[in-house]
Amino acid sequence: MAEEHKDKKHEKRRTATQAAAFITPMVKEFFKDTLRTRAEGKQKLAYTFICCHHEEILRAMDILPLWTENFAGICGAKRDAERFLQRAESLGLSRSLCTYALCGIGFDQWREELGEMPPDAPWGGQARPDFMISSGQILCDPRSKWYQASQQFMPDVPIYNIDLPYPLYDQKRDHRKVWGYYHKYIVAQLRGLVAFCEEQTSKKMDYDRLSELVDLTDRTWNLIHETYELRRAVPTPMGTGDAMNTMVPINFWMATQKAYDFFIELKKELEEKIAKGEGEVEDERYRLMWGGGLPSWFALNDFNYFNGKGASFPVETTYRSVVPLYEMDIPKTKDPIEHIAWRWLWYWTFWYEKARKRPESEPDVERLITWIEDYKIDGIVMHEAFSCRTWHVGLIWQLHQLGKIYKPIPVLTLGKDGKKEKTYRGLPSLILESDIIDITSYSEVDTRNKIDAFIETLESIRQSKAA
Amino acid sequence: MTAYFAGIDVGSTMTKAVILGNGIIASVIGPTGPEQRRLANKVMEEALNKAGIPFGSITYIVSTGYGRINVPFADKQVTEITCHAKGISSLFPEAKTIIDIGGQDCKAIKINAGGRPNDFIMNDKCAAGSGRFIEVIADTLGIRLDEVGGLSLQAKNPAKISNICTIWAQQEVATRLSEGVPIPDLLAGVHQSLADRISRMVNRLRVEEAIVLTGGGGKNKGLVKALSEQLGHEILVPEEPLITGALGAALVGREIAENARKENMLLETKERILEEIQIL
Repeated sequence: MAEEHKDKKHEKRRTATQAAAFITPMVKEFFKDTLRTRAEGKQKLAYTFICCHHEEILRAMDILPLWTENFAGICGAKRDAERFLQRAESLGLSRSLCTYALCGIGFDQWREELGEMPPDAPWGGQARPDFMISSGQILCDPRSKWYQASQQFMPDVPIYNIDLPYPLYDQKRDHRKVWGYYHKYIVAQLRGLVAFCEEQTSKKMDYDRLSELVDLTDRTWNLIHETYELRRAVPTPMGTGDAMNTMVPINFWMATQKAYDFFIELKKELEEKIAKGEGEVEDERYRLMWGGGLPSWFALNDFNYFNGKGASFPVETTYRSVVPLYEMDIPKTKDPIEHIAWRWLWYWTFWYEKARKRPESEPDVERLITWIEDYKIDGIVMHEAFSCRTWHVGLIWQLHQLGKIYKPIPVLTLGKDGKKEKTYRGLPSLILESDIIDITSYSEVDTRNKIDAFIETLESIRQSKAA
Repeated sequence: MTAYFAGIDVGSTMTKAVILGNGIIASVIGPTGPEQRRLANKVMEEALNKAGIPFGSITYIVSTGYGRINVPFADKQVTEITCHAKGISSLFPEAKTIIDIGGQDCKAIKINAGGRPNDFIMNDKCAAGSGRFIEVIADTLGIRLDEVGGLSLQAKNPAKISNICTIWAQQEVATRLSEGVPIPDLLAGVHQSLADRISRMVNRLRVEEAIVLTGGGGKNKGLVKALSEQLGHEILVPEEPLITGALGAALVGREIAENARKENMLLETKERILEEIQIL
């Protein structure tokens, strides 16, 4: 087993904003904190997943969440996931499964076997949890099965699986006719989580505190939306490369004052940059959308490569895990659990109504169309990560649907015979192929060759438009 | 006085050079090896000898292909997407879709009326969609690569090759051969399998006629037929499909030089010296 398979140091990604640059040391500090907390034993630690809208419940009960996908991403970013992936493979798990899960399972098995952290564990390693909160949501089965697999090595660590469904999109059916049933079910699931946490911590939930944290989260959601909307500016002051850092407060620090304060600072910084006309790229020639797919965490400096060619990324669908609450019509309730359940339903169905108004559209496609226009996008970049079928399988289909229904402004191009030809400008797309943390699936030469070709295509379209 | 331009395309298996004056005045195709710099020099030297012109008379040189950075004398590097678009458009002005089947990858390019790329897609993750697939199968069947296309057209009952992985398909072909399946039927099956894989990728772009097939795959008549059937469109093939990237590179070079002249800009070029070729 290749237990010493660390890659040589690669060039670190440069950030456009100071706020994004602060994230890495803060996450490192968070990991130190979790290990300290584990050693002191005064606070309970829970393995869990992002985008489950349960942060307020955990924080209100003083539970420290250990975001297992985050740790796998860090292993990937440090190019140190391979030894954990190989451990999982040696346990009989296929490399074609979710590599976040494989990395986590391999790490857990190793830590439990040693009774201490594996040697040179990234950022000190991931602490042993007191309990695990899984959530399959819809489709992402690794989120249910991962902790069951890890439990083989930690049989004393209980699991609570929280089930959070939402009505699937149907062009002909109004989802609001059925979401009352969903709401009732989600509320029951969340109350079950509260009961489980009370049992594990031997504490009762403080509902006043929970309400305060729900309010803080709501305010943070709106603030994030307003901050990210500033990126519509030309040139854009912040790109997707930075957003892969600022996803940390959105997804890992929600329901904390720290997350709110972070976005106050980021918003201020972006406003200042806009006032000075400072962009992510000095001479912004092409504005791209990261239209889907988790990034290759080990290759984030590819964003700098794009930047070096004059391409900025004003918007991304990945990790923008909020929509403005002031655009939702959430029923007034004094029960924070009921509010969380409504917010969940509104979040996942946010684009349904808009999609229903456009024949052949779909919510994800509608979001692409809206942001293409809002952020003045010239092209779309997606990443197909082989090990994440849940999210990545539909990306090509989204592009296909987009191509069918989205008719941008017609442009005149000069033909060979000197006559002008009316064509639609089209929206070129680039699909990068690799993985989230499995570096063996990545070729820098091939990836950059594709990026070069994509930039030349964008330039060719730009010149055609000029003609 | 005639101005000359050169394009050099360092692909994964072949290195190609084209010299352009009033039309193509020389073209050379040679194998790419591990010493790409050496090969680039060699094919350039051969092309100059064929054209009968000194190196110093070349106004501008553009390199393309995977090894484009390993051409020490190139004035500019441009990707093969742009170069194929330019090259094919000069040969087939009506072309709207290009399929390039190279030694180790496959690409589809949509182009506009000016020969500029509008969109593209590449498969570079797996040899199954590339010429390498055919090479491996030819080797397994003990036949020459240039025999593959013609033999497959003699098939009466094309075999079904279900594996898309090159290595597994190789084993499958060997097994079917031992079962007595005739070689033409096996080759036709292999072409159908390859065409199926390529057409799935190509269809991600909205295919529009005229479709031109270039790269080494264009030399294989069996593959052209299978792909044409899969896509449901006629497929055009250049007379020499291997040189369209190098031709496009030379045309891009000419465009750059003309633009510089029009805008009264200085055209920056490298020194016209070919490195001494050392045989290792």
